[in-house]
Amino acid sequence: MNRGLACRRCLYTDRHPLGLTIDEEGICSGCRIHEEKDRFDWSARWRRLEELVAPYRIRDASTYDCIVPVSGAGDSHFVVHLVKERLGMNPLLVSYNKLFNTPLGIRNLANLRIRFNCDLLLQHVNPVSVKKITRATLRQFGSMYWHCLAGQTVFPVQTAVRYRIPLILWGAHQGLEQVGMFSHEHEVEMTRRYRKDHDLMGREADDLLSIFDTLNEGDIWQFRYPGDDELHAVGVRGIYLGNFVRWDPRRQHEQMIDTHGYRSARFERTFDTYDHVDCWNYMGIHDHLKLVKHGYSRVTDHACREIRHGRMTREQALRLVGECSRAEPAHVDLFCDWLGIDRRALQFIVDCHRNPEFWEETEPGRWAPRGNVTGLGADAPGPTDNPGFRVNGELEFGAERRYVTVGKGYPG
Amino acid sequence: MLKKRLVGVITVRGGWAVQSFGYRRWLPLGRPEVLAQNLDRWGVDEILVQAVDRSASRAGPDFELLDRLGRIGLSSPLIYGGGIASVSDAARVVQSAADRVVVDALMHDDAEEVRRISGHLGAQAVIGALPLAVHEGGLRWLDHRTGREGELRPAIVELFRLGIASEALVIDWRHEGSAGAFDERLLESFPVPEVPLIAFGGLSEARQIRSVLGSARVAAAAIGNFLNYSEHAVQRYRQQLAGVPVRPATFSSAGQP
Repeated sequence: MNRGLACRRCLYTDRHPLGLTIDEEGICSGCRIHEEKDRFDWSARWRRLEELVAPYRIRDASTYDCIVPVSGAGDSHFVVHLVKERLGMNPLLVSYNKLFNTPLGIRNLANLRIRFNCDLLLQHVNPVSVKKITRATLRQFGSMYWHCLAGQTVFPVQTAVRYRIPLILWGAHQGLEQVGMFSHEHEVEMTRRYRKDHDLMGREADDLLSIFDTLNEGDIWQFRYPGDDELHAVGVRGIYLGNFVRWDPRRQHEQMIDTHGYRSARFERTFDTYDHVDCWNYMGIHDHLKLVKHGYSRVTDHACREIRHGRMTREQALRLVGECSRAEPAHVDLFCDWLGIDRRALQFIVDCHRNPEFWEETEPGRWAPRGNVTGLGADAPGPTDNPGFRVNGELEFGAERRYVTVGKGYPG
Repeated sequence: MLKKRLVGVITVRGGWAVQSFGYRRWLPLGRPEVLAQNLDRWGVDEILVQAVDRSASRAGPDFELLDRLGRIGLSSPLIYGGGIASVSDAARVVQSAADRVVVDALMHDDAEEVRRISGHLGAQAVIGALPLAVHEGGLRWLDHRTGREGELRPAIVELFRLGIASEALVIDWRHEGSAGAFDERLLESFPVPEVPLIAFGGLSEARQIRSVLGSARVAAAAIGNFLNYSEHAVQRYRQQLAGVPVRPATFSSAGQP
């Protein structure tokens, strides 16, 4: 069996779903591009960004300078800090309601809006359609998160067209950060192609429709990308700030905790306490599906990032990945209740998407890793060091453990 | 007057579309069929899919990829290169999805087989690819399988002189992937003036593409990496090439794939 080529520096293999190349020295494209972070003159890169955004500044305060997609987690606090406080621009914040909201995520989003004093536009797609989509994507390609990814990548673009605000400022480019898809100097911008290819796993909204399904056009039209003619008429352009700032999510989150009141929370399936605290499912069933389909889970992404930043050894990372990847996904009961299926039905669907390259069924309903699942080798994980990520909150934020379908925000 | 063409190049290695830099460094891009569908929607004149590792590994043409490309129903003509070693390979490539084929290594390995392919498919369906560099006033050919340069052999030149291939894909392999670096001396030095040329390798700036397309010998400019950095890259080139005989930019409406 071909176990896939592994990078000698980080934990990724050439089976990475975004694609990954490994050079003659055994180093992956992601690690090579990461080297630019320590080589480039980031002051000069920032000046380049200032030049790029200059034509989009509105002099008469008649509208917004730009759009910034946000959530109650991720890099949103830091991105808005860069846009509002360093670039001095007036952004319209936009957010797609993923419905799987934690109380902490609602609190962080409210904090973001209040602390930065920005206008915020929220999109709520009706939950009946979202549930139909979730059933379809779970069944078709083993994703329960497609609607979140589709919504958060299309709503900012739709808003740019509707409000005629051409500039969208995103945080980092995932393909660049993880697998080195581009050099920072390529200054890659938002494209519909990347969204379809990677964010949406090759399926745009219309690709979900089938004559053998009850999902119909009325359910998916909210997730359609605007036409090229509309984008062109407004001059819509999406720039990634990560091309112009030495992107380091851990340091950025810690800065936002210290200066802007960001709250973090602990997860069982990763050591990173800063990412995805707005969602009950990202580090739960969604992460479990990633392990089932691709042979690695989100903790591997976090570990690779920490290795590249020189804060973790490869051995330490492997131990942490082994420990976290073995943890059972949390909050599956909430998801089953929301979708209206029982756990055995969900398990059946999950197993339908087990990648035989990584898993073998040892007896009916029991699956074992074949040995090439990152961190799940034959050896049990050894003692792990605490990598020092800070925890100053919990997902419930003092409320019930349930989805906050529509949240108004929390004080404090 | 015949229009000049903009060709979108998708380089495929290990089944993935990649950015390629000087035939020796690659960065992943995504699924070739998603890139092709996108170029098609942008209104590129032709799509060239080159599977660069198929000849060296003797894997033959990538028929699985061609099958996927065939299913998306491209309206742009598709050129395929990579692993074609025989008439039957070439015929199956055309039956699968491609409108034309590119041969590179085969011209050096078996010129007679290239003649047979041309006889079978017609010369208009055959393009000869030549990774070249100007060296001490002459042209040097790169064998991409071994990474070694050698002379551009007279037998290859003769294939073009006899009209076995309808066009020559002149690749500046040293500058492939480097912005604005295409060496236009390659076009002037090409030894068969009557063969229409497709220029590729380091073409990124509209000013430079305008210059290349200004040559009577050049029928098309091929662009690879640089179509992946921003939205509507093809349309932008077209707008910047005002006055050059290329098709005008078009922008599709919502709902189109």
